Amino acid sequence: MHIADGLLPPNICIAGYGITGGMTWYSLRQINKQKNPREHMIKASLLAAAFFVISSIHIPLPPSSIHLVLNGLMGVLLGYYAFCAILIGLFLQAVMWNHGGLSTLGVNGALLGIPALLAYYIFQISYRLRQPIWKQVWAFLAGAGGFGITAIAFTLLVITTISADIDAQMEQKAIYASMVGYSIQMGIEGIFTTMLVSFLQRVKPELLP
Amino acid sequence: MKLALERYARLNSPIHRWKQTSKFTALLALIFAFAFVQKLTLLLLMVLVTILLYTLAKLPLSFLLSRLRYPGLFLTAAVIFLPFVAGETAIISWGIFTIKEEGCQAALLIVTRACCILTVSLVLFGTAPILSSIKAMRSLHIPDIIIDMTLLTYRYLEELGAMLTTMEQAMKLRGFNSRKLTPDYLRKIAHLSGTLFVRSYERSQRIYQAMILRGYGYATSPNYSKKIQIKLDCSSGILSATTLLVAIFFIVASLS
Repeated sequence: MHIADGLLPPNICIAGYGITGGMTWYSLRQINKQKNPREHMIKASLLAAAFFVISSIHIPLPPSSIHLVLNGLMGVLLGYYAFCAILIGLFLQAVMWNHGGLSTLGVNGALLGIPALLAYYIFQISYRLRQPIWKQVWAFLAGAGGFGITAIAFTLLVITTISADIDAQMEQKAIYASMVGYSIQMGIEGIFTTMLVSFLQRVKPELLP
Repeated sequence: MKLALERYARLNSPIHRWKQTSKFTALLALIFAFAFVQKLTLLLLMVLVTILLYTLAKLPLSFLLSRLRYPGLFLTAAVIFLPFVAGETAIISWGIFTIKEEGCQAALLIVTRACCILTVSLVLFGTAPILSSIKAMRSLHIPDIIIDMTLLTYRYLEELGAMLTTMEQAMKLRGFNSRKLTPDYLRKIAHLSGTLFVRSYERSQRIYQAMILRGYGYATSPNYSKKIQIKLDCSSGILSATTLLVAIFFIVASLS
């Protein structure tokens, strides 16, 4: 779910960089408030590398297969580091595989990073509730919600800005068709996040924030 | 994975000799200027500038084509419907299909812009080792925490990829060969991913301790900041100034 170079008009690219710059500043400010940001930074870097490796796994979804985006899960595990980790991952993907792009790095960073931070806030609610089942419910909401917000924003942005000459009715149809496809992946991302959070709760609870 | 991009990073060309810090600034400005182009009249000039840069870099054409293959698929998927759905002026009608002028123009603009931007970014990152590019980003005062994270993520990306491949092979040897999306399949993939996270986390702790022992986090000597200051040689200065002027021309021409 990356917007390639050349697809978006310049005002959107600049706005994307503006939003991403602001969100990076906010994330770094929160990170610097922590007790030992350097130790967490190394953990976040390796987990970010692991995320991008895991997102290359093909999940069969007939007639084709999909790659998981996992921005919701990144928010759950990395907290405020998630935004920076996503930005770095997108930069490396743009440079090493020409996937995404440098001019759209700001837009892609905002599309994936802001929902990741929202997923972090959603998952934090589970700590106020005692029963373990609620942790899984909030993990599902964080995973599915993180991806869902990205999918909605991505679809709206691409379809409404790709060409001014597409009529409104056609745009509406394309948005609905995309939403049907993405809702299936949203469910898969939510279930995957729930399973992974339950696994980490049993095996390595300190990995969860 | 890393070598694919750095295969031609050590050739001898004016672009290879161009200081990465100033190259980074100038070519990034050019990429943004290309993103500004909305007029069809500027497309030819944009293509000529891109060809000139790529020729100066002495990179082989096969390298560019291999790097364009993957984004080309996404781009095709994004613009293939545009000539049929965007605009009103019909060029060709064939049954229920009508190819429209505005849609063709939009598709041409997007594809040309994308190819030029991708080629320039390949010139930027394919003519120097990626570590030089990251160092150049440091000298542009990007926050240290982001640079350190980029270096570490880049450093361990390939290793963790190899670890995942080994784990997947181990799963296959133990009989896991399902290609059907079932809750059990998803659980096994989640556990595989969880194990990779746990291993990465444990490794990060060892790396942190090793880095602390080597003095990471302590203030560097005052001379260090002087060492990474930008020192422009004559040819780098000329290339940077020319590229920036071209970028300004494209922005002004697009806005006027």
